[in-house]
Amino acid sequence: MNTGAPIVVEKISRHFGSLVAVDNIDLTVNAGEIFGFLGPNGAGKSTVVRMLTTLLRPTSGSARVAGFDVVKQADSVRRNIGVALQDAAIDPLMTGSELLKLQAVLYGIAKSKIRGRADELLERVGLTAASERRVGTYSGGMRRRLDLALSLIHQPTVLFLDEPTSGLDPMSRIALWEEVRRLNDEGTTVMLTTQYLEEADQLADRIAIIHEGKIVREGKPRDLKAAVGNPTLLVSVTADQSEKAKSVLVTFGEMRPTADGTLSVGLRGGGEAVTDVIRKLDEAGVRVSHLELNEPSLDDVFAEATGHRLEGAAK
Amino acid sequence: MTAALAVRQTVALTKRSSLAILRQPALIAPSMVFPLFFAALSASSFHKTTSIPGFPKVDSFLQFSLASTVIQGVLFGSVSGAAALATDIEIGFFDRLLASPTSRPGILIGNLMGSAIFGAVQSAVFICALLPFGVRVEAGLAGVIVMIVSGALIALGIASLMSAVAIRTGSAEAVQGSFPLLFVLLFFSSAFFPRELMQGLYQTMANFNPVSYLVEGMRSLVLDGFSISAITRSIVVPVGICCLGMAVALSELRRRIRSR
Repeated sequence: MNTGAPIVVEKISRHFGSLVAVDNIDLTVNAGEIFGFLGPNGAGKSTVVRMLTTLLRPTSGSARVAGFDVVKQADSVRRNIGVALQDAAIDPLMTGSELLKLQAVLYGIAKSKIRGRADELLERVGLTAASERRVGTYSGGMRRRLDLALSLIHQPTVLFLDEPTSGLDPMSRIALWEEVRRLNDEGTTVMLTTQYLEEADQLADRIAIIHEGKIVREGKPRDLKAAVGNPTLLVSVTADQSEKAKSVLVTFGEMRPTADGTLSVGLRGGGEAVTDVIRKLDEAGVRVSHLELNEPSLDDVFAEATGHRLEGAAK
Repeated sequence: MTAALAVRQTVALTKRSSLAILRQPALIAPSMVFPLFFAALSASSFHKTTSIPGFPKVDSFLQFSLASTVIQGVLFGSVSGAAALATDIEIGFFDRLLASPTSRPGILIGNLMGSAIFGAVQSAVFICALLPFGVRVEAGLAGVIVMIVSGALIALGIASLMSAVAIRTGSAEAVQGSFPLLFVLLFFSSAFFPRELMQGLYQTMANFNPVSYLVEGMRSLVLDGFSISAITRSIVVPVGICCLGMAVALSELRRRIRSR
């Protein structure tokens, strides 16, 4: 374990009464990484982030962020991290400029530097023109960008983004990804939670898949996908032929769960086995309406690890 | 954290809280308009009661009503600050503050100071609004200043108690739901009628009601001028309520943070 890493989590758990939201998690995020925490709603992603940002106390275990213990040195952790929580919790009655200046005071930035820093961040996130408007009039994308700017006011070394693009349109999502990449290029370590496979795939250097409070897979997206191995063949047939088709497909590999009832098999023989599959289905009298061969995706990794497809994976 | 930074943070949060009150005219209008409406209505309807033997010596019922108008407005206005704190909890802004290195008491005190400033402004507005109608403050300009300070302290005290509800429940609706309690406290006090002329259960309730002493302190400044008793009831009683309210609210804040 790299004890000098900006985020080191050791056997951390969090219980809410009888509910175990996070169960004995170990995690290390290295300096300069974008680390993605992938999982469906209720998997425990936000609970982990809330513990690492000092908003929740762990029930057991320990964690160090930016070199400080999240329980015993909480104030030092807060000074060194930037946090953009879920749903961009921003006061709608204040203007973007007022909020940035308030945030600057809260982080102890010298009065003489506040205006310059606020203007610089507003420009960076493309909100200069809207800086004197109340946040209540901002679109979802503008609020997220302001939220990001607020989290950067004190130039943190570690940045936590909890579902930063949730509910955003594709253009706003891509713009935010670009900004996160730019920050990372400048040396900021980023830990983000997401339920979007594409986001984790595009942004993260390494990911952890969390399911029912436990980390079920961890590694580089490319390595995780390669570990799943076989490509997935999706086969659509009529409902009355489903069982017959399944009995053929299972001879070519392991059946995988799908969200929409399409049959899915991890082809042991790779793409070259498709011809044989079609021949065998034809011999069995199965009429195929749609056939699709997919290289392994993070959704396959998730499905292989949990037995379920990730909620919203089709988005 | 240095004390200087904690003070700077608290001042910034006070400014935010004051701005939030100013920017929600629909929320503050009732606490500004209704007390003046009640003052006008009672002045026109109850003038004859001023000649009942035992009624304090006044120029008009409006002069008798000035103190209750101020207290009424301040009590109702102080709910909006606490409701804003509950809204912060609901929308997650409170978590943003907790995730920053902001002084924990500063988060609460900044919010409460906005209510205190609003209480002072309300008091000044009510006094200025009634002076042109023949109301005289016997304690003079110094008495007016004491009334404004008292208004601010009462707002601070009540907002503290309401903030404890906000922090405990995290619900703006729960805070707004406490509003009838304030109305009952005001109604069963000597705000609208002198205690000396009350009888039976109503008088007993008014005797035990702290709002009676707040109103009577301020009323004494208006009708009788400066006295030790008037100053005690106008300043010392509100300071006591502030201390109690702050202690309860800070304890709730600590409980909320510890229970996370």
